[in-house]
Amino acid sequence: MPKIQSLEELRTLRAQLKQDIKARTETSTTITVGMGTCGIAAGAREVMQVFLDELATRAIDAHVVTTGCIGMCSKEPLVDIQQSDGPRITYGNVHPTMVPRIIEEHLIHGNTVQQWVVGQLA
Amino acid sequence: MAELYRADVLVSCLHGRSPELVSALKQELDRRGLAGEVKVVETGCRGFCTMGPVLTIQPNGIFYTDVQLADVPEIVEETLVKGRAVQRLLYKEPATRKVIPNYDAIPFYSKQMRIVLRNCGMIDPQSIDEYIAVGGYEALGKVLSSMTPEQVIAEVQKSGLRGRGGAGFATGRKWEHTRKAAGEVKYVIANGDEGDPGAFMDRALMEGDPYAVLEGLTIGGFAVGTQQGYIYVRDEYPLAVQNLRSAIDRAHEYGLLGSDVLGSGFDFDIRIVRGAGAFVCGESSALMQSLEGKVGEPRAKHVHATDRGLWDRPSCLNNVETWANIPPIMNKGGEWFASIGTERSKGTKAFCLVGKVRNPGLIEVPMGITLREIVDDIGGGPPKGREIKAVQTGGPSGGCIPASMLDLPVDYESLTEAGSMMGSGGMIVMDDRTCMVDIARYFIDFLKDESCGKCSTCREGIKRMLEILTNISAGLGKPGDIEVLESLAKTVQLASLCGLGKSAPNPVLSTLHYFREEYEKHIAEQFCPAGVCRALIAYQVVAEKCKGCGLCIKACPQEGISGTARQPHAIDQVKCIQCGACFEVCRLDAIQVVPRSAVTVGSNGGNGYKPVREVVR
Amino acid sequence: MSWVTLTIDGQTIQVEEGKTVLEVARENGIHIPTLCYHPALEPYGACRLCVVEIIRKGWSSLHTACTHPAWDGLEVKTNSPLVRDVRKTIMGLLLSRCPNVPIIQELAAEYGITAPPFPVEDPTENCILCGLCVRVCNDMVQAHVLNFSGRGVKRQVGPPFMEKTRQCIGCGACTSVCPTGAIEIVLEEAGVYQAKPLGPTAAIYVPTLQAVPRVPVIDTDSCIRFRQQDRTNGAIADACGACQMLCEANAIDFDQEDEFLDLDVGAIVVATGFEMWDATKLSQYSYGKSPNIITGLEFERLSNAGGPTGGEILLADGRKPERVAVIHCVGSRDHNAHEYCSRICCMYSLKQAHLVRDKTGAEVYEFYMDMRAFGKGYEEFYERVQEEGVVMVRGRGAEVEVLPSGKLRVTGEDANLGKLVAADVDMVVLSTAIEAPHDASEVASLFGLGRTPDGFFAEAHPKLRPVETNTDGVFLAGCAQGPKDVPDTVAHAGAAASMALALLGKGEVTISPAIAYVDEQFCSACKTCISLCPYTAIGFVEADNVARVNEALCKGCGTCVATCPAGAITARHFTDAQILAQIEGLFRIPVIEIPNTQYPIPDTQLPPTKESNHER
Repeated sequence: MPKIQSLEELRTLRAQLKQDIKARTETSTTITVGMGTCGIAAGAREVMQVFLDELATRAIDAHVVTTGCIGMCSKEPLVDIQQSDGPRITYGNVHPTMVPRIIEEHLIHGNTVQQWVVGQLA
Repeated sequence: MAELYRADVLVSCLHGRSPELVSALKQELDRRGLAGEVKVVETGCRGFCTMGPVLTIQPNGIFYTDVQLADVPEIVEETLVKGRAVQRLLYKEPATRKVIPNYDAIPFYSKQMRIVLRNCGMIDPQSIDEYIAVGGYEALGKVLSSMTPEQVIAEVQKSGLRGRGGAGFATGRKWEHTRKAAGEVKYVIANGDEGDPGAFMDRALMEGDPYAVLEGLTIGGFAVGTQQGYIYVRDEYPLAVQNLRSAIDRAHEYGLLGSDVLGSGFDFDIRIVRGAGAFVCGESSALMQSLEGKVGEPRAKHVHATDRGLWDRPSCLNNVETWANIPPIMNKGGEWFASIGTERSKGTKAFCLVGKVRNPGLIEVPMGITLREIVDDIGGGPPKGREIKAVQTGGPSGGCIPASMLDLPVDYESLTEAGSMMGSGGMIVMDDRTCMVDIARYFIDFLKDESCGKCSTCREGIKRMLEILTNISAGLGKPGDIEVLESLAKTVQLASLCGLGKSAPNPVLSTLHYFREEYEKHIAEQFCPAGVCRALIAYQVVAEKCKGCGLCIKACPQEGISGTARQPHAIDQVKCIQCGACFEVCRLDAIQVVPRSAVTVGSNGGNGYKPVREVVR
Repeated sequence: MSWVTLTIDGQTIQVEEGKTVLEVARENGIHIPTLCYHPALEPYGACRLCVVEIIRKGWSSLHTACTHPAWDGLEVKTNSPLVRDVRKTIMGLLLSRCPNVPIIQELAAEYGITAPPFPVEDPTENCILCGLCVRVCNDMVQAHVLNFSGRGVKRQVGPPFMEKTRQCIGCGACTSVCPTGAIEIVLEEAGVYQAKPLGPTAAIYVPTLQAVPRVPVIDTDSCIRFRQQDRTNGAIADACGACQMLCEANAIDFDQEDEFLDLDVGAIVVATGFEMWDATKLSQYSYGKSPNIITGLEFERLSNAGGPTGGEILLADGRKPERVAVIHCVGSRDHNAHEYCSRICCMYSLKQAHLVRDKTGAEVYEFYMDMRAFGKGYEEFYERVQEEGVVMVRGRGAEVEVLPSGKLRVTGEDANLGKLVAADVDMVVLSTAIEAPHDASEVASLFGLGRTPDGFFAEAHPKLRPVETNTDGVFLAGCAQGPKDVPDTVAHAGAAASMALALLGKGEVTISPAIAYVDEQFCSACKTCISLCPYTAIGFVEADNVARVNEALCKGCGTCVATCPAGAITARHFTDAQILAQIEGLFRIPVIEIPNTQYPIPDTQLPPTKESNHER
């Protein structure tokens, strides 16, 4: 560990370290991955892992939480995204390869990826 | 790039079974293949001591209390996999049995204001990364890059911060004196020699957030103009020593201690000195003697330590809690700090709330909060069926404040006026089953061993006060004892060398002041109304109320209660050892405390007693 | 140095800055009681007895006067009702702790307390934990033996782990500062006691009490500071210094050293005195096994008004003796020790017997062989002492035995009765011999003096020249020449002084012309002559690398002349040539043939004939 030489360096370091305690800080976005037996069988774990990796590399403020079966097993893996006061969007049949696009369009640009949406709660 | 976790499990109360809990959690997560997604963090004290070990799961904010090893698989399965709360582990409000799933909503926490304890229970105290991530060392960076020592001192003065060790000397003034004192070599010292029975604020802080103490001390070092800081910790706090040590090592690695701190050219180092646990070493001059390697004995302090302290050099000694207040003050400004609290007591104060409340624990409250709010709202009030009788603050040298004064605001002046003191933050709640003579005796007994014994008034005076108090509680009190006690207390208070001696009579004086009639009852009527002094009391069954349930028969360790079902029972006074077990278990208030003289031991076949009516006055 | 003004009990006092309130009060005759204060030690503030009311900037509070600096503008009340009240409680506490310590009782009585107000736990407790002993041991003596252990009511004073320690140097500083007499030094090794049988003196003392001026000296072997200096080879000398700190005349100078003075003198009187014979050499007298077996000289110290008991004759435990035995001739007239009579013992023993009778009324037994009361009035004194009831046992004391009871059994043969007698006594005084000082031989060689077989210096002639020596200008006085009592010593010394004055008064010395001289041409610088000269008259001149004779010293004995291997030394008026000439002259006398006449010449007067010469 090289010594911190100035306040600026300290602040840069902090920005990186904040990732470590992301789960404990307030964020505006919650990504909920369905992790019931149905979801896991359909590959929800891989999806969630890709979400975590992507969030880390892009340094996006978001919490990833899990939930159980919501009864729509055929559409698993299901991923809900809720941003502060916005609607809760549910994507269905999410494949790991779809994750970068969801993040890019939904989280960064704020545009829902309509073709994959299976539901929406106002 | 650090890995991102989807959930953090914060495990507190590392003094209990938590180490096993942590390893069980990690094992379970590993088994379920979740180790890469969920992080287990060992944190410092959350203060909610009756409920420990406590677990907080973030980002959900789920707060589990009293977690057992057997609960681990369920927590992992339900909460970490499925995202549901385990209902039975959630906190329930004692009065209403209402479930409160989230930490912030629990009244114990909602009335508190955490400045000093801001990170306790929130971060891993061994990790400098987490401390920096939550904003740590921002204050030091700001001070070193943009402030002069004078500005720092001015900011502290503006904040109105006063010493949290008990005496309440203005911190800014102390810093200023030290800065202006003549001499090249000066010292800043953190007093972590917390010795009050039942108090552990400083331990929780040093264990749970060591970097806050280091940062505060470093800022102080810069302000008063020194390169050397000391932290004096009692060796009975091994975890505090360990965490502080590793914190100092990490800070060195990060360039936050040592030469050229943060590239500013300011050199500063901190050494930990372990004390042997003498209560008197919390007194400033004794602490410095001990730091010098001598026997920890107070010296006469006609010249302040800020002029001639450690090794006769200007020394600025503050309590660790005081030091931990410094970084937030630097970050948010003195005015922000001064906006909290009362006219003359600013900011918050950590207390260890113990005794007869439902939620004992470590709390931090803004100055000026009333005792009632602390006892009733945060503490949850007395246990069922009991009444608050007094609140003792300030540790063994503090005093007892009667229940009638519960609306007293908690600040330095009010507590001192009431015959107690702020002290380092012990707060013992006593209910109607507490005997004030016994309480005074207890504290004086503690001080008898903890006085250093140097000066005659403290050593001999305490011993004699204890003799008299012991006599009174043993039924050997004589008329005139109270007056002797008062004159002894006065001499010890006026003529003792150090703060320990000068404040030692406080438990006696304050109980005498507020509960004199209780002393008089002990002497004149040979009766302890609280039912504590065993030599003066007897337990008796109130025949009219007793339904003959037999609970007391089972509870009695002496097999001294007899009776047939549904008939009033009777206590054999020969066998009775006044333990009070029957009194505790009786749900009908059918067991009564009466003066010893009211029962005739052994007469009438050892089983027939005077009717209760004759006894009750 | 700046000055401060303060008020003590209404008295306005101006003093130099840097003093304590207690010091200022005492300097001005204001009494403040103390127990834990000592002027040579750092104030400690433990006994709290010196509390005074101090009013500063309108605030009144109690402080200990011993620790509080005398600041400008202080108003001090040393005896206000509050102060008296607090002191009274303190004295009550201390008296309850130490009920049988006189100084505590007195101080308590001053505050109206006559009995301990609280239950007494240990009536034998004497220590008030004032810490004076701890401070003196650590700060001054730097022996670091005593300290506190335990805290609160368990606090106590002692060496580490309350065990005996070799660190203790037995200096006794702790006992001397202890205000309550709670410390007792127990000397365990007999040797320590023996060296100081009559109680220790301090390392600084007045060697001769009656001397004028009465100047004390420091015993550097016992002084803590000098010992520290020795121990550290002079590197550190900061221990103690109490004498220097307390001496108002600033008369203590640790840097003073022994000086050697070179003086040119015309005459020397050797009066080097005597030493007492070591009584342990005769083990039958048990000297050193009991503190009540003492020598005559120790008895003199004991009975001296300036001595440890103020002149009272007491046993080691402080009792008065009931029976005392005096044994004469210990080491004198003894083939196992000195064969000579020490001359003074008979009379001083009688005097001591008289003193014991007079001061204590004890029975006295004198074990003597012969009573040598030879001087003027001596026999009369002997008679008087006998009349005083001193029991005279004619016979040498044979043995002294220390009985288990502590009594001493003296046995001896009473020659008058022809029986073995024994007496059980409390005290035995051994009249030990006097002997020549142990370094007499060095003195002798320094001055060229001879010594008689008894070890004392030899006078030039036992009858006719009793004060002169064989070295001109060197005289003897007193016991250096042999045992003498006081009148004899005074007479002898007077004679020596007169002889010296007679020599000096002449202004010059007459020497014999027949003395040796060195022919420097032939001197080989072998120095043989120097070591052989009995008068130290030959010196070696380094510059010329030759031996040279001091003509004033040479007695012309000729030893050097005969010795010189190079034949470089000649005796003036006694040269080889002169001697040979004389011999020659003898042989030149013609043989006178005288016929047989009426007056035959005796053989001895006749020069020897050649033949007869050969026969010889």
